[in-house]
Amino acid sequence: MTSLRSATLLILAAGFLLVGCGNGGGNRNAAAAGQKVYRHSMDQAPVSVDPTQAATVYSNFIVLNVYDTLYAYKYLARPYELKPNLAAGMPEVSADGLTYTIRLKPGVSYTDDESFADGIGREVVAEDFIYSIKRHFDPRSLSQGAWVWQGRIEGLDEWKEAGSDYAAPVSGLQAPDRHTLQIRLTRPYPQLVHTLTMGFSALVPREAVEHYGREFSIRPVGSGPFKLRRFDTARAALIRNPRFRSEPVDLAAEGYDPTLHDGLGLEAIAGRAPPFVDRVDVDFITEDAARWNSFSKGNEIQFAKIPTEQFDTVLSSKTPPTMKTELEGRYKMLDLVAPEVIFNTFNMDFEEFGYNTDPVRAGRNKALRCAVIKAFDWNQRNERFYNGIAKIYPGIIPPAVPEFDAGMSQVSVIRDVEGARKLLADNGWDSDTLPKLVYGVAASVKQRQLFEQFRGFLSEIGYPSEKVVLEQFATFGDISKAWKQSKLPFVSKSWGLDYPDAENVLQLFYGPNGSPGSNDANFADPEYDRLYEQSAVMQPGPERTAIYRRMNEILVDNCVAIMGLSRTNLLMWHDNVIGYPDRNIVGGFWLRYVDLRQE
Amino acid sequence: MELAQFAIRKLIGGIPLVIGVTFISFVLMVYFGPDKTYELLGKNPTPEQIEEVRHQLGYDRPFFVRYADYLQELVTLDFGHSDSTGERVSGLLVRTIPVSLALTAPGFILGNALGIVLALIAAYHRGGWIDKLIMGGAVVGMSISFLIAIVAFQLIFSSSYGLNLFPVRGWDVYSLADYVRYVTVPTLATVFVALGYNTRFYRAVIVEEMTRDHVRTARAFGARPWKLLYKNILKNSLIPIITRIMFSIPLVVISGSLLIESYFGIPGVGKVTYDAITTGDQPVLKAVVGLTAVLFVFTLLLTDIMYKMVDPRVSLK
Repeated sequence: MTSLRSATLLILAAGFLLVGCGNGGGNRNAAAAGQKVYRHSMDQAPVSVDPTQAATVYSNFIVLNVYDTLYAYKYLARPYELKPNLAAGMPEVSADGLTYTIRLKPGVSYTDDESFADGIGREVVAEDFIYSIKRHFDPRSLSQGAWVWQGRIEGLDEWKEAGSDYAAPVSGLQAPDRHTLQIRLTRPYPQLVHTLTMGFSALVPREAVEHYGREFSIRPVGSGPFKLRRFDTARAALIRNPRFRSEPVDLAAEGYDPTLHDGLGLEAIAGRAPPFVDRVDVDFITEDAARWNSFSKGNEIQFAKIPTEQFDTVLSSKTPPTMKTELEGRYKMLDLVAPEVIFNTFNMDFEEFGYNTDPVRAGRNKALRCAVIKAFDWNQRNERFYNGIAKIYPGIIPPAVPEFDAGMSQVSVIRDVEGARKLLADNGWDSDTLPKLVYGVAASVKQRQLFEQFRGFLSEIGYPSEKVVLEQFATFGDISKAWKQSKLPFVSKSWGLDYPDAENVLQLFYGPNGSPGSNDANFADPEYDRLYEQSAVMQPGPERTAIYRRMNEILVDNCVAIMGLSRTNLLMWHDNVIGYPDRNIVGGFWLRYVDLRQE
Repeated sequence: MELAQFAIRKLIGGIPLVIGVTFISFVLMVYFGPDKTYELLGKNPTPEQIEEVRHQLGYDRPFFVRYADYLQELVTLDFGHSDSTGERVSGLLVRTIPVSLALTAPGFILGNALGIVLALIAAYHRGGWIDKLIMGGAVVGMSISFLIAIVAFQLIFSSSYGLNLFPVRGWDVYSLADYVRYVTVPTLATVFVALGYNTRFYRAVIVEEMTRDHVRTARAFGARPWKLLYKNILKNSLIPIITRIMFSIPLVVISGSLLIESYFGIPGVGKVTYDAITTGDQPVLKAVVGLTAVLFVFTLLLTDIMYKMVDPRVSLK
């Protein structure tokens, strides 16, 4: 027994010793040292903070705080407006729309890091941008962002085909001097400046990439307002970059509107240079209950997306979302329609629903798809799963973009059970002839519930329940593989917008983007494709908007998908936090403007 | 000398076990696990890009070449980089295993120690109300899911709706006081659930020992209850107790506790392992599986040595 006791003591001692190693956090220590510490929360954790992998909202959130992008969106202006960030001004665009000349702000430095020769961060120069974009076209980077510029920048695809040799130049990416950048396009790309706000386009120093190798993905070295001090599955700790350039906030230029932003305390940051807090801790909390407990505790996280099960605790009214009066003074709340579209699409590759060489059957298939769309009850879906506060709209263009058509016919989102039954009967569909419909999901309780509701909708129009079949995939990777290989006849999906331009969602149905591209519907309509190609090179304006809307109508007329819904997120933060925490499109860019009111 | 020879024999004998475990797990990873390719692709990939990612991940190499690499990685303890985060796997484990160990050790030790004590009391009062009370409590602990226990304990001890005594989440540990703050509620939840299983198991073992002749003899000699329980019963019940405790250790060390780590925001190896499984991060999975197998071999060795320590009749030959 003596030996056992010794072993127990040894394990205990080892445990304490190991714990004593710490983890680089230091939230309480920072607070104790009188530093301003803002504790944010996110519902998922990023896996990498390398700009080449900034494909998720979560990665982007951190990347945009550690790195600089040439352009950004104004903090408060809605609809979203572009502004220069690392660039000295908006780009000079040649008359043919093919050459963009961008000047960088001089004197901007990377944070100090051991990867630099003397440990002191050097100046950010135009060559850094060229190097950063080239990385997306180097297969070793495993980039998830190459699609943004693929086929768009002169010589870049050829550079990749030639072996991704960084010493070799790319004709479309030139730096005439240290602070001037020239981008030459293969064809006009009106969304280019939007792509230069994305985390993908962040400027990275070559020295750091080479110094850290693959671990560059967790050891970022940028010129943004914060430095990453800790990053793991539970938290990212960001500390103020002491060398961040001084750029006092001009509230009016950021889109401040007293009628919209009154009460947020934003006036306190006017004329001051961000960042305003010494440290930001971003806690990654996937469990709603844990997130709410931490938020409502008072001394832990100061920001949370409100879990749906807490709506009754927080809201006195859902339409519009209104916070209970007893919570005023303790919290602030914001309801934001997410720039996304949730939709279900038929895969037109499957001849039992989609394209069919037999024109009669093709017609019957269209009637079948239209009947399924008529059977779908968006309002019930909204009530059951989104607390009745999501936005429902016809077509694929969501309210978050300026091309949204509020006047579009609502017929495609209004349930019509009788109309659906009639369509089926008129086209010779009955319980015997209706084909099996396989509904694929990544396994989860919620996805199962969504499926059961969908099956219930269809049973009301006479679709036999045994013919509406659930296929579950263990992981997102597995279902993504099925989508990319065009193996699922019915795809249930949500798409977050990369930039506020309807082109980003309309490309989801562009024929050449078929599997393994983003067109999971494998929709291929000559008129649609022609209009897409026509609009793809047009600058924003009424003519382009008209084309976008026509494309939207084509999708609705062809009954290719059940569209669409955008969730409304309810965001809450502690009253002493000064900020406008909208991460939509803007990503984590707004974090630099967060301040804390001293109690 | 006898011990050294035994250890060497045992470790050599463990090699086929490690090869078997790693081979089966690698087959499962490669042919049945998630395809990481589709996690790493951009939104609008081309078939060429899919092939590039597969190549970068090494998926286009022959199975046995990849398996041979795996064995080499296990021998050199160099598993390369995580396919998800890019972090060196060795660094990842060195960073997270101590956290999980510090998190789970108190619950593991208390759960077993209290389980033994309660089992001794229950067995001594077998059939009486104390036995029924303890066994009833054990059934309650076994019946409540770990998840519910975690949520309930968090609500009761950490949230503003309850006692608000401890942090809901975090792991900013710089002193013993910090450690106690962060580890208390997870430990209470762990002990609450583990105690039920442990107590029932240990009670069964101890009850069996109590029926032995030597215990009856000791009682006849008028041995005092605690001396009887400790010297005559517990000492002679140690073989199954050691077996249970020892074989739990590799899982506690390597696997951590996903639920505890997720709910309390603790950056341990449990969440890392879970993420690796669900995303098909093979370098991390290979390390976790391989190291667990190796740890089991060492545990087998240690267990045999401990058998010898507690029971001199056990031969190491």
